[in-house]
Amino acid sequence: MNVYLLQIVNGIGLGMLYFLLAVGLSIVFGLLRFVNFAHGAFYLIGAYLAYQLVHWGVSFWLALAVAPLAIGVIAWLLEKALLRHVYDHPHEFHILITVGLALVIQEVVILIWGPIGDNVDVPSTLQGVVIWGSFIYPKYRLFVIGFTAIFALALWWILEGTRIGSAVRAGSESTETVSLLGINVFRILSLVFALGAATAALAGVLAAPIRGVDPFMGLEALSVAFVIVVVGGMGSFGGALIGGLLIGIIQSVMSTLWPQGAQLMIYVAMAAVLLLRPHGLMGRG
Amino acid sequence: MKALQRHRFLLLAAFATVLLPMVLRSGSLGTEVLIYGLAALGCNLLLGYTGLLSFGQGIFFGLGSYAVGILTTRAGLPVVPSVLLAIVTGAVAATLVGAFAIRQRGAYFVMLTLAFAQMFYFLAYSLPSLTGGDNGLLNVPTPSLGLLARLGIAPQSPWQFYTITAVVFLAVFWLLERVTTSVFGRTLLAIRDNEARALAIGYDTRHFKLAAFAISGAVTALAGAFHAMMTGIAPLSDIGYHTSEMILVMTVIGGTGNLFASLLGAAFYLLMSDWLSTLWPRWLLLLGLALIAVSLFLHQGLWGLGEKLAGLARGRRNPAGEHRA
Amino acid sequence: MTTSQTAAPLLIAEQVIKRYGKFTAVNGVSLTVAARTIHSVIGPNGAGKTTLFHTLTGTVPLTSGRIVFDGQDITRMPDHQRVRRGIARSFQVTSLFGRLSVRENLRLAVQGAHAASGYDIWHPPQGARAHAEQIDALLARLQLTALANRGAAELSHGQQRRLEVGMALAARPKALFLDEPTSGMGIDDLDAMKALIRSLAADHTVILIEHNMGIVMDISDRITVMQQGRVLVEGAPEEIRNDERVRTAYLGNMITGGRQ
Repeated sequence: MNVYLLQIVNGIGLGMLYFLLAVGLSIVFGLLRFVNFAHGAFYLIGAYLAYQLVHWGVSFWLALAVAPLAIGVIAWLLEKALLRHVYDHPHEFHILITVGLALVIQEVVILIWGPIGDNVDVPSTLQGVVIWGSFIYPKYRLFVIGFTAIFALALWWILEGTRIGSAVRAGSESTETVSLLGINVFRILSLVFALGAATAALAGVLAAPIRGVDPFMGLEALSVAFVIVVVGGMGSFGGALIGGLLIGIIQSVMSTLWPQGAQLMIYVAMAAVLLLRPHGLMGRG
Repeated sequence: MKALQRHRFLLLAAFATVLLPMVLRSGSLGTEVLIYGLAALGCNLLLGYTGLLSFGQGIFFGLGSYAVGILTTRAGLPVVPSVLLAIVTGAVAATLVGAFAIRQRGAYFVMLTLAFAQMFYFLAYSLPSLTGGDNGLLNVPTPSLGLLARLGIAPQSPWQFYTITAVVFLAVFWLLERVTTSVFGRTLLAIRDNEARALAIGYDTRHFKLAAFAISGAVTALAGAFHAMMTGIAPLSDIGYHTSEMILVMTVIGGTGNLFASLLGAAFYLLMSDWLSTLWPRWLLLLGLALIAVSLFLHQGLWGLGEKLAGLARGRRNPAGEHRA
Repeated sequence: MTTSQTAAPLLIAEQVIKRYGKFTAVNGVSLTVAARTIHSVIGPNGAGKTTLFHTLTGTVPLTSGRIVFDGQDITRMPDHQRVRRGIARSFQVTSLFGRLSVRENLRLAVQGAHAASGYDIWHPPQGARAHAEQIDALLARLQLTALANRGAAELSHGQQRRLEVGMALAARPKALFLDEPTSGMGIDDLDAMKALIRSLAADHTVILIEHNMGIVMDISDRITVMQQGRVLVEGAPEEIRNDERVRTAYLGNMITGGRQ
């Protein structure tokens, strides 16, 4: 099979995961107007929670459902207990408190699971490859693409079609408008924050069988999420999708052409987009 | 007396540089405190004075480290011109990064600095012929001064380099004091307070931010250069995220209200690290908690805490030290 | 107060349009202001007055149109450059350097009007750079002398509104753009502000957005009435007071202030 086709498909899979990572960050920013630097940490504990559950013999499918929900609840609690108190402080402290949180979470992970990572087995039903003529590809990776595509559709439908979704979109324009509409803004903030964390955790669970788990995957995820959001445009669902796919494909293709530079290229791509379109490919002003 | 009052932070810094050798057994730890103190000063100029939260200080630290490494080991340049070129490299890189980053505001700006930090890291990683890749550059020379030998400090003693570092540190501290109390420094404070207002009364805030970046980059690169000379290595990690985060955390925990607080933050971080990391490897967890605490109710960091305690001791509540003009 | 009919206008705005995405806030407004006059812009909320100000002062770039100030085309200039040309403004929502003292606020404003100011990285703002005399005079005019060393955020609302005007005055501009200077002021502060604005008329050109018709009718030389992004009518105060369209636009109950 053509190696470039392989890498492009890999890139799509990677890109869908990147989309998952970025969309939560983007929506949270749209509403809370701050960037959650603990976003990567939610990805991290999502992955580790799934890893632990599978280790205990729980089925991967159950872990796929439980881990994001659990992380969502944790995030919801953290928002209520901690983050809410910094909203009226200067924005540096919104960021710094989440940096502190990310650090604490990372250290707790190392405390519990040790500093060295581990592998996560692909669930038995998805092991092996599919063979369509000359197209040979791991089943699990195809599943990731399909699953995230469906999830993306569901998320898009929630944002565009439901009252909650409209409130979220309106809220990113003005929190006053939302409260005038009679919706409790604070409850939405907590909910949205939890949703953002849950999508990051979901990305972590899905990524775990592909890249394993290690305590520093959170930072890696955070930086990439930033790149996607910068490239796609802050607050844009479509931007997160396009940005994710673009960066995922670039990274995968580059890993064949210039392996050492593959990581570098995604940041170069970001710099290029910034030069040409400072607000991202689909960002508003 | 008024001059003493005006220069009280410089005096505190001088006192600290004299105190450290008496309190610490390790010369290299003392030097490290001053080196990262410099880096924190560079970070504070951006954060405390211009209101720019930069996750990219590791870029300039690492570039300074690499510059000295490359120039001394590959190009055979003597130490002084190498360090000077390292400073220039830092200033230029900071201006470039700044030019991109300040097009955005607030959280978007912060994200960009982090993304650029990663970019430079992977750049360094992917050019091993220049940077030594994973291994870094080795055998960076540590300068020594014959003068100090004659004063009784042996050339092999880490206290030699400490003395050199201390002199440079105080010189830079003094220069930064001048900059932050100058007309330019006051304008930075205004921009931090209300950028829209600064624009409306005639200041091209972009220029000011870029200038702050350039100065910050220069100081941070100087710190990186000294770090390479002290350890003899210009490692990849100097340009990594962890360095950026460390510098930022030192700056925030020390306090962004004045320059001495930056030294305080660096000292606190490194001394805690030295002391705690043997007791409990996960001491960074406490640091994370400290960051959370600072964000919640200790915006002025350790310095602010000190002020509050001093106020309590004096029996009345003191407002935390904010810049006032 | 006399209006100069023969001198060239200080400010000419031609067909200014400002769009935010699909929403057109200012839809082809033209305005001419003669030097040493007071020109008020009034209109119901949402008429686009503040947005018009933003385009005139350079706070936001305009979508299309032309602005000529003191004979120079300044259409493409951002606000910080227009200050050098002699334009200064106050904001509708108080925008001061809250953490800095009143004196420092004014010093920054005075300094900002000088080209290449602020870049001095060596000298502290002392001696000549402190502009002490000019600031003391300003403080006296604003009746804020006693509060010179207090943080701007500590001032009462009325005092802050006066300082807001002071920030514009400090630049010794050719044209002062004041956006609702009396907004939110109580009766006590109102008189001080009225007196301040009246005193400005003597030696400045003032473009004023105001809802307080008492002030508008008393001191304006010309009034532009805006509605929904366009100019409804423009003229001398008496003409505006009696204009049917203006009454309708305001629902007839706001233009009763000033001398009858």
